Amino acid sequence: MKRKIFWVGALMVLFLFSSTASAKVKLKFFYPVGVAGPLVKVINGMVEKFESENPDIDVEPVYAGNYNQTMQKVQTAVLGGNPPDVAVVEISELFSLLQMDALIPLDSYVEREGGKGFLADFYPGFLGNAYGRDGKIYGFPFQRSTPILYWNRDMFRAAGDKLKAAGLDPSRPPDNWDELVEYSKILTIREGNQTKQYGLIIPGGWNDWIFEAFSRQNGSQLLKEDGLTVTFNSPENLEALKLWVKLMQELQTCPVLRPWNITPDDFIGGVTAMMYYSTGGMAKIRKTAKFDWGAAFQPKRKQYGTPVGGGDFHIFKGIPKENQDAAWTFAKFMTRPDMAAHWSIESGYVAVNKKSYDLPEMKAFLEKFPQMTVARDQLKYAYPKMMAVNYQLIRNAMTTNLDAALEGTKPPEQALEDAHKLMEEAIKGS
Amino acid sequence: MREKLESYRAYLFLIPGLFFLFLFTYLPIIWSTWLSFNEWNLLSPKPVFSGLENFVKLWQHDVFWLVMKNSFFFVTVSIFPTMFLALVFAILIDERMKGRVYYIYSLFYPTLIPMAAAAMLWVYIYSPNLGILNIFLAKLGLPKLGWLGSSQTSLWALIIMTFWKNLGFFTLIYLAGLQNVNRELYEAAYIDGAGWWRRHFSITFPLVGPTSLFVLVVAIILTFRVFDQIHLMTEGGPGNSSNVIVYYIFENGFKFFDWGRASTLTTILVLILLSLTLIIFGIFGKRITYTAD
Repeated sequence: MKRKIFWVGALMVLFLFSSTASAKVKLKFFYPVGVAGPLVKVINGMVEKFESENPDIDVEPVYAGNYNQTMQKVQTAVLGGNPPDVAVVEISELFSLLQMDALIPLDSYVEREGGKGFLADFYPGFLGNAYGRDGKIYGFPFQRSTPILYWNRDMFRAAGDKLKAAGLDPSRPPDNWDELVEYSKILTIREGNQTKQYGLIIPGGWNDWIFEAFSRQNGSQLLKEDGLTVTFNSPENLEALKLWVKLMQELQTCPVLRPWNITPDDFIGGVTAMMYYSTGGMAKIRKTAKFDWGAAFQPKRKQYGTPVGGGDFHIFKGIPKENQDAAWTFAKFMTRPDMAAHWSIESGYVAVNKKSYDLPEMKAFLEKFPQMTVARDQLKYAYPKMMAVNYQLIRNAMTTNLDAALEGTKPPEQALEDAHKLMEEAIKGS
Repeated sequence: MREKLESYRAYLFLIPGLFFLFLFTYLPIIWSTWLSFNEWNLLSPKPVFSGLENFVKLWQHDVFWLVMKNSFFFVTVSIFPTMFLALVFAILIDERMKGRVYYIYSLFYPTLIPMAAAAMLWVYIYSPNLGILNIFLAKLGLPKLGWLGSSQTSLWALIIMTFWKNLGFFTLIYLAGLQNVNRELYEAAYIDGAGWWRRHFSITFPLVGPTSLFVLVVAIILTFRVFDQIHLMTEGGPGNSSNVIVYYIFENGFKFFDWGRASTLTTILVLILLSLTLIIFGIFGKRITYTAD
């Protein structure tokens, strides 16, 4: 008798567990952190809030490293037949994911939310990287940025007399390439054979992204929107690369290939007067820099110009329909006005939802930190970031050759030519 | 009859072990060797037999040769200092020199912490302006170096870090090896008037031969396989200057999704390690003094 009761009890426990397990949808969510700063905590907080509002959905957030590492994890999971339900990857990766047939189009979801009217709430500049070649929408903007120019107002002030003597205004950052060179010369301080203070840092690691911005400022681009026509060796790009080589090799007002994640520390630590960096790193600077600092558009050549950057949500094929629906609910939650505003305030990324900027807490915050509006306003001059199949191979071709030119081991002409050839090879057949 | 039964039983007990060894070691080796003769990448999503094309393409690829050069440089530069210092520290610890506990801690601490944590620590040590290493160099009046951010120094930076990380492990192995050396030999030599160096040069060095052989082979294999620190500290950059073979395999397989080329590189790595091991055992295997008696 006792034994019977035991078995009945065991069965009941089993049922209890299996029924709760089947009622809840479990989402695996891969995401990267592409800038310096403790953003994992912020994401976890947002996920918790989502779960409390949607008790029937469980989200397991998986921090997958930087952008490269996250894409590697996603690709491997897809190829292994065990894709995540929803993931954020770097925006240039979309074509590679489509080549692998890994994503579902989001058109029906968007339609259900109100179609064009719904999309109108989001900055169009951030939707440019969301569409496949078939015209369907496969990505939904989340952690989105542009590179901007950070500048240390105190250092500008300290060099005020020298700047004025050179006809430069110490109360504003450089506005074009020529000024960039002049400011960086004066703001560089040397003692013997040591550089005590650099005028400028253009970091390595993502220098292909910043280079795309310089290319746009000079009226060119690296790769056409079709993802097939390479324009990497254009004369405008050569001029941009020569400017970089001049700053790093000839004038030495900018250190060569400063690692991406270290660069904000250099700015905060007073190693440099200016830096090019993603707006996504701004929260760290806002919280730790002990001096007066500003943010500005990247200086122009023929025009202001920049690619957008960051990562979008993607929902995967090969998972149950209910998971895909739940993933959409999650993506929609993460980008609704209050959450996008929260994410922007905590990270420095631009809030992808225009309505975020109407919220009183966002308005109050921006009044205190007007630097946070720079990247958003720069969207007027922003272009979609380059996209191509085999993007990792292409990016590797670009960075290795840019690195070689900046270290002075390859003439700029040859670096552009070599990268151009490698890029064409990688795209061939796609 | 009984003996025969015993050996059958031995084979029987080996089956589970052999099964997993086959499944997770030999099968992947066979599979990846087969794949190295196939084209299989993002644009050709099913393996297609392509003969020696992968090998020919690698042969013509500059990056491949740079990676091979880096790998061999890494191994040759890091192994001998590691082995020598590991042995010296093992002797010092074994002889219970002063401050022994301090040395034990500082040697084994790096070995015990996870490689990922160590790598992140060294990223900050190597930071060009705010890192402790460059601040130290500047205090000495030496020029600051770019370390991880310069193709001149990135590989050296990784070698130094790996040396720091591995030294304790090899010291431990040597320490174990020293326990097999007959103590009476030292006493006899001491009575004969042999100094510290003489004693170790003539007694310790030859008698830890088997340990040295083991350490050499393990060190070569370990150093050829460095991956974590490269993945976390430089991603092979700048400009492939710190890219080594295992990272290059990973890059081709999981970044560029060129499985064919990644398999070809794996086959090459297996061949290199196999032939190096055979050569080392061929040269040293027979000459080693295994006992002191």
